[in-house]
Amino acid sequence: MLSIELFPLLLGLSAAMFTVGAVGVLVRRNPLVVLMSIELMLNAVNLAFVDYGRYLNSEDGQIFTLVVIVVAAAEAVVGLALVSQVYRSGRELDVDDLSEMRE
Amino acid sequence: MTHALMAAIGMPGFPPAEDLVRLLPVLILSTGFVLLLLLDLVTPPSARTALAVLSAVFLAATLGAVILGWFDTAHHGLAYYGSYAYDRFGLFVDGIILASALVVVLISPGYLNRRGLHYGEYYALILGATVGMMLLAAASSLVVIFLGIELLSVSLYILCGFAHTEERSQESALKYLMLGGFASGFLLYGMALVYGETGHTTLTGIRASLDALHGTDSLLLIGIGLMFVGFAFKISAAPFHTWTPDVYQGAPTSVTTFMSVTTKVAAFAALIRVFSSTFEGTYLKWNGIVAFVAIVSMVIGNLAALGQTSVKRMLAYSGVAQAGYMLIGVAVQSPQATVGSLYYLAAYAAMNIGAFAVITMMAGRGEDLDSYDSIRGLAFRRPYVAAAMGLFLFSLGGFPPTAGFFGKFFVFSAAIQHGQIALALWGIATSAVSVFYYLKVGLLMYSRPREGEAGYDWARTTVAGSVALAATTAGTLVLGIFTYLIYSAATLAQMGTFPVPPNS
Repeated sequence: MLSIELFPLLLGLSAAMFTVGAVGVLVRRNPLVVLMSIELMLNAVNLAFVDYGRYLNSEDGQIFTLVVIVVAAAEAVVGLALVSQVYRSGRELDVDDLSEMRE
Repeated sequence: MTHALMAAIGMPGFPPAEDLVRLLPVLILSTGFVLLLLLDLVTPPSARTALAVLSAVFLAATLGAVILGWFDTAHHGLAYYGSYAYDRFGLFVDGIILASALVVVLISPGYLNRRGLHYGEYYALILGATVGMMLLAAASSLVVIFLGIELLSVSLYILCGFAHTEERSQESALKYLMLGGFASGFLLYGMALVYGETGHTTLTGIRASLDALHGTDSLLLIGIGLMFVGFAFKISAAPFHTWTPDVYQGAPTSVTTFMSVTTKVAAFAALIRVFSSTFEGTYLKWNGIVAFVAIVSMVIGNLAALGQTSVKRMLAYSGVAQAGYMLIGVAVQSPQATVGSLYYLAAYAAMNIGAFAVITMMAGRGEDLDSYDSIRGLAFRRPYVAAAMGLFLFSLGGFPPTAGFFGKFFVFSAAIQHGQIALALWGIATSAVSVFYYLKVGLLMYSRPREGEAGYDWARTTVAGSVALAATTAGTLVLGIFTYLIYSAATLAQMGTFPVPPNS
């Protein structure tokens, strides 16, 4: 059982996780790691939703979390398919190398 | 037992049958989406044009249901416990989205065949993305907003990578997915904070709770700010626009045509519903940021478009600038501003779809028609197409009597009426700059090809293509000449918004 005293702590943890994820997206060059960082951001959001839901004593937070989990899975499927397509066409997996288009 | 459980948590039994009527347009299109996915499995490759016809039929049926719904005011209201709004605001935006999708489906088969990309999933995904956009336009709960955004985004990620063996297309899809996921993270975190601070996920609940709060909490303001960042990514407003040129350029042109207009229109509808209507009470806290983003978008979009040598990239940056003009309608708090934004959305759809449709239709067998050189001399070989393109460019530049002029006129005059003269002046100054790059493309079409140089091998115009061009040309002219017609519809849309009209 989630103790209500943990509320600010968990909210802080979710903010920290979100920051780590966001920084990960910006600095990591491997597309797989970038996708993992996005997942981390979404899970930070889930933690915040569950935490708030417990604090407010409402189910909405948990329902929202379930929706986010499903959508994140769908997004991961498409993301991994795209990464594997890039890999199969014989290119290096580096975000900086994805720059065919420049003016 | 389930009933007892639902009663115990304070929910009535099953949603009333009325709610199904309210959801009818979305239901029709979702049926089409699933049906097309299944039919694709049994359709031989040579008969794929039939799938295009079927998807056009479903889009037209949905458009019919939307038009009927516009007059069926008895059913207007909130459905599914306040999470879905069946109102004129949503239906107005649905109309723009569906008409745009229809034009895209018309021009797609020819283009996809020439590029060797004619797969049946294409149409299913277009319908899937359109369903997401309709949900987004009608969403009156944070959950439905999120679902709508993700349904349209995930469909578009796949569509952008549709030319899956081409490096540019792969890049476009992967970039869109990464930055789209990043933006969704921000939007969701903002939603989590707004939910946590107000205790509601429905827009009605959030608004009531905001009205009851005395003084605003800093976490709530951070939440509102993060949500705005998420939306700004989707409407490609600067400085969150960096993905736009690459994604637009790399995606197959028919997909760019579709996403450049419909995503922006749907996301703007949600933005207006959330900011101008739900967060109205905290207006003074966020309007500075919105105005700043509007100015930055107008300046960066227009200046960056000047130096482009690719038509698709030029139109991408022009889209960033147009997002800035439309944001003025959100940054100014008055009903006229919202109506102006709605008018601009309709105008933007007509002229931008038109401009991109020309590039899609004229693309030859090999490369996309993309570089400025490949459009040189178009007027001598395809005079009507070039004339239409000229009209769209004039409209994008804001010349009367076209759609673009009145879009800008209504938004700027709303800003001036409400004392936000600086915003209007930035808009006018930057649109003067925009004339240069739009006319540059126009002049290229009407200049003779260089001596001894083989011109670009433009495709033939098809019947479907001519219909699409005629429709967008008519739209651009109707919005520019019979202004009153659309303006009064937009006014009705603004007034008929549930739960509360924006800026009323």
